[in-house]
Amino acid sequence: MNKTGIIFFPAFDWSLGESHPEREERLLYTQEQIFEEGIMDLPQIKQYSPGVADLMDVLRTQAIFPRLEKLHLDAHLIAAGSSIILGKAIMDKEIHNGFALVRPPGHHSGATVWGNRGFCTLNNEAILVNYLRAHYGIKKVAIIDTDVHHGDGTQDIFYYDPNVLCVSIHQDGRTLFPGTGFTDEKGGPNSWGSTLNIPLIPGVGDEGFLYALENWVLPRVEEFKPDIIINSAGQDNHYTDPLASMNVSARGYGKITEFIKPDLAVLEGGYSIQGALPYVNLAILLALAGEDYSGVIEPQKLQRREIGGETFRSYLLNLKRQNENIRPNWTLKKESCFPAGEWVCIEKNIFYDTDWFQEYRKDYIRKCNHCGGTVLTLSRNELTFEKAVLVRIPFEACEACVQTGYDLVEHFKNTEKTLLLQDQLQNKIMLWHDGREVSFDEQKNQTA
Amino acid sequence: MDNTIGIDVGGTFTDVILIRGEEVIKKGKITTRQEDLLTTILQALDFVEISDTPSIGHITVSTTLVTNAIIQKRLHPVELVLFPGSGMRISALNWPVPCRILSGELDFRGREVQPANKKEWEVLADDLRKGAATSIAISGKFSHRNNVLEENLAAFLKQEIPELKIALGSEWGQSNFYRRSLTAYLNSACTEIFSSFSAQLRKAVRARGCNAPIRVLKADGGVLPLEKIRPVESIYSGPAASVLGALAQNDGCESYVVVDIGGTTTDIGLVLSGNPLMSSSGARVGSFLTNVRSLAVRSIPVGGDSAVFMENGEACLASHRLGPAYCIGGSHATPTDAMRFLNLTDYGSFSKAEEGLALLLPENERNPEAIQQVALTVVRKMADQIGLAIEQLLMEWKAEPAYKVWEVLHHHPDFRFTIRLNGGGAPGIATVLEQRMNTETIVTDSSEVSNAIGAALAKTTFSWTLNLDTSLSRYRIEETGEQGEWEGPKKPHKEVEQFLRDLALRQAQEMGIETKTLQTDPFDYFPLVENYNTVGQIVRGAMHVPPGVIRRVSRGEKDE
Repeated sequence: MNKTGIIFFPAFDWSLGESHPEREERLLYTQEQIFEEGIMDLPQIKQYSPGVADLMDVLRTQAIFPRLEKLHLDAHLIAAGSSIILGKAIMDKEIHNGFALVRPPGHHSGATVWGNRGFCTLNNEAILVNYLRAHYGIKKVAIIDTDVHHGDGTQDIFYYDPNVLCVSIHQDGRTLFPGTGFTDEKGGPNSWGSTLNIPLIPGVGDEGFLYALENWVLPRVEEFKPDIIINSAGQDNHYTDPLASMNVSARGYGKITEFIKPDLAVLEGGYSIQGALPYVNLAILLALAGEDYSGVIEPQKLQRREIGGETFRSYLLNLKRQNENIRPNWTLKKESCFPAGEWVCIEKNIFYDTDWFQEYRKDYIRKCNHCGGTVLTLSRNELTFEKAVLVRIPFEACEACVQTGYDLVEHFKNTEKTLLLQDQLQNKIMLWHDGREVSFDEQKNQTA
Repeated sequence: MDNTIGIDVGGTFTDVILIRGEEVIKKGKITTRQEDLLTTILQALDFVEISDTPSIGHITVSTTLVTNAIIQKRLHPVELVLFPGSGMRISALNWPVPCRILSGELDFRGREVQPANKKEWEVLADDLRKGAATSIAISGKFSHRNNVLEENLAAFLKQEIPELKIALGSEWGQSNFYRRSLTAYLNSACTEIFSSFSAQLRKAVRARGCNAPIRVLKADGGVLPLEKIRPVESIYSGPAASVLGALAQNDGCESYVVVDIGGTTTDIGLVLSGNPLMSSSGARVGSFLTNVRSLAVRSIPVGGDSAVFMENGEACLASHRLGPAYCIGGSHATPTDAMRFLNLTDYGSFSKAEEGLALLLPENERNPEAIQQVALTVVRKMADQIGLAIEQLLMEWKAEPAYKVWEVLHHHPDFRFTIRLNGGGAPGIATVLEQRMNTETIVTDSSEVSNAIGAALAKTTFSWTLNLDTSLSRYRIEETGEQGEWEGPKKPHKEVEQFLRDLALRQAQEMGIETKTLQTDPFDYFPLVENYNTVGQIVRGAMHVPPGVIRRVSRGEKDE
C-alpha cells in the first residue's frame, strides 16, 4: 500500500499577534476536522512527530542577516524541520508522499532574511529542497506554488538555479501582496526559463485554475523531468479567504493535488480558518492518500461571480504568448575586486513595515555555460545601515565558479561586517563576523 | 489494618494476592478457566479465604471477560446508527459491523449544517420494532461538540420504543467519530454479559460473608467500582496490572520498562519518572479501534508456555500454547523447558525438560550438545522478540506527536532505562534479555504474582478534559461526555480553571475517587476571531488524577 506521511504541527502556542491572521487558532478547526474524521486511523496514513531544523540546514539556503540571534526562530525551525522529516521519509521510501501541515508558513522568505516577510521568516520548502540535494544527491526539483500569493521568497532563493523549476500560480501582483510574480520574471542569466509565473485575474475558480495547470504548468513540469515535486500548498485561493479574491473550492484543491501529484505538499497561507481550512486540508490529505474527496463540502457556498470559460482561456493564452516572447535584458556590471568573468547585476529594494527593515540588494551572477554560476549578494538594511554579504557556490558548480567563490570570500571576509559562504557543492557553510570565523556551536549557544 | 485483595485473570493462570498494609500475606496461582471466569475468580477468592478474613478494604479484579467476548464475537446484537454528514467517505475506514446512515450534519464547532430528517427516524423505529436488536448505539460526527442530533433521536426512540436500550457516541467525548461510534457500539454490545458477570460476582462474594467494595481495573491503570465502570473500559487491564505491579514494588521516580512474561503472551509497558506512559490513541481490540484510554503497552504472543517446534532444523516459537511445559507434565516442549534445561530456573523437572527438548530432534541427533543448542536458540529467540517489542515501544514514545513549540523543544528528556521483569518466566530470561538489551534487568521480588499486587494496590483515577467555546456558550467534558451551557465571561481566564476544578472535585466525590493527587495540565486559550473581531475564546484544559498505586509493598514479604 502507498503510504502517505503527515506531520500535523499547528503551533498552538505561537502567533504573530492575538488577532493576526497567523494566530494560534489557525489550524484549530483543521485539527478538529481531520481528527474527527479519523484520518489518522486510515491504514495508509502514517503520522510523524515534528522535528527541529539545524541552523546549518537553514544557512545552506538562506542568509540570516545581520545576525542569527536577532530573530526568534524556534517555531520556524520546527516548521522547516518537520518538512525535512517528511522529505527524508520519502527519500527513504517509508512513504509514497506526504503533507507537512505546519505553521508558520515560509514561501515569502527569500535568500536574505533580515526579518519576517509576509508572515514568513524561514522558507520551509527551500530549506528542505537543498537538504535533499545535499544529502540525497537529488539533481532536479520542481516547486509548484498554489498559494494565492506569489511565492516570491522561493523564487528569490532559486532564481539563478537552473536545476530548480519554480512555478507559481497566483492572484495578479497588481491586486495583492507581495506585488511581484509577473510573467516576465523567468530566471537569471544561467537559468532563464526555470522560473514560471502565472498571475491570474481575481475571480478565477476551480475550472480556470485546473485549466491553467493542465495546459501550462503540468506540460512544463513534465518537460523539466524533476526528480521530486514539492507543492507549496497555500489555501487562500478558496472563495472564503478574507485576504484574497479567488474562487477555488475545497474539492478544487483536492483536484489540484491530484493533478500535481506532489511528492510532498507543504502548507503555506490560507486564512479562512473556519470556512476553508478544515475542508481544504481534508481534501488535500484525502487526495494524497488516494481516497475519495468528493464528499468534502464546505457549508458556505460560493456567492461571488466566478471568472472562467472563454474569458479565462483567452486571458491565459495571451499571457502564455507574452511569456514566450519575452527576451532577457541583462545589465552587465562588475566591481574592481571581482574575479574574471562576465557578471550580471540585478538590483532590488524593498521595505517591510511589519519587522521594520528596508533591504537594498545587489545580486551579481557570474555568467557560466557549465553551471548555475556563483552568486554574490551585497545586502544592506537602509534603516540601520547594516551591511552583509552572501557568496553562493551552487550545487553542481564548475571549477571556475568554485574558485571565483573562494576568491570573493578572501576579498570580503576582512572588509565586511558579516559574510556568509554557502558552498552548496561541497556542503560547506561558513560565517564571518568582523573578519572572524564564527563556529556554529557558538551560534547555537547565542540563539539558545 | 486493612486487607486488600487483588486478582489478575490471565490467559493461562489467574493470580491472587492478599495484602495487609504493606505486607503480602497470601499469594497463589490457579489455572484460568476461560469458559467460566466467574468460577475462576471465586476459586481465587476462596484460595485467600475471604470468608475468614476480616476487614477487607476492597477486592480488585482485572479480568479478560470483555476482551474475550469481543475477540470471540460473543456480542449482544446492537443496531449502529450514524450521522456522518459530509467529509471523508464512511467506507474509507473499516467498519467491522453494519451501520445505518441518517441525514443531519454538524460542523467542527457543533453548529448545525444540515437538519435531521424525521421521516428516516420513523422508518428506523419501524425496522427496530421488527428486528432482533434490543439495543441501539447512535453516533454523530462532531457529537462530542454538540450532542443535539443524538439526543433528539434518542428522545424520539424512547417514546416510540420505551424498552429500547440506547447508547450515545457523545458519551465517549474524545474526537474521532469512527472510534467513538465503535466504542459506543462495543460498550452496548458487552453490557449484558458484563452485568450478569458482575451481579453473580457480587452475589457470590456477599454469600461468603464479605461486604468489601469490588473494583475493576481499567486499561488506563485506574480502578472504578464494579457498579460505575463502563464495561468496555475493562479491556486490556492485564498489561495495566503489570505496570502497576512494578510501581508497587519499585521506588517512586525511576524510569524503567516493565516486562511481564505470561504463559502465552508477554506484556511490555513503560514507566517514566514513576509515571506510567499513556497511549496517545485509544486501545484496539480485535478489529475494533476504540476511544478507550489505555497505557502505552505492547503485547506479543510469546510466553513461558509457547509451543516450540522445529523448522529446517532450527527451533522456533509458535504464537500459541499446547498445554503446560513438558517439565511439569505437559506434552510439548516450551521455553520453560529450555530455561529449566539451561538451569536458568529450578521450576519443573530437569530430566523431563531434557526429554521434552530431545523429542523435538530426530532420534539419531538427540545428543546433549544438540539439545543444548535447541535450548539456547529458544531462549535467544524469546529474548529477541521481547527486545524488539521493547525497542518498538520506546520508538512509539519518542515518536509521539507534539502540537506546540514548547512541546517540541522539550520533547523527550534522555532517560536511562532499566528493565523490571515480572511473571512466571521472569527469572529464566533475565540474563539473556540483559545481554540482548545491554541494560540492567531486575526480576521483581514477587514476580510471579506481580499483576495481582498491581490490581490490589491500584489507585482510583480519572481525567476531566475540557473544551469550552465561549462564543457558542458551550462546554464539554471528554471523558464523561457531559455537555452544558457556559455562563461565564466571553474571555475567561482563571475562572475556567476554577470551573473545571469544581466540576472535577464534585464528580470525583460522586464516583468515590481520591483527589489528593489531582493535577492540572496547562490550559490553552485560543482567541476566536471572526471578521477581524475577537468574539470569544476556545479554551482547552485538563485535570487528572493520574494512575498509580495507593502504597508500595515492603521488599521482605512473607511467603506462604
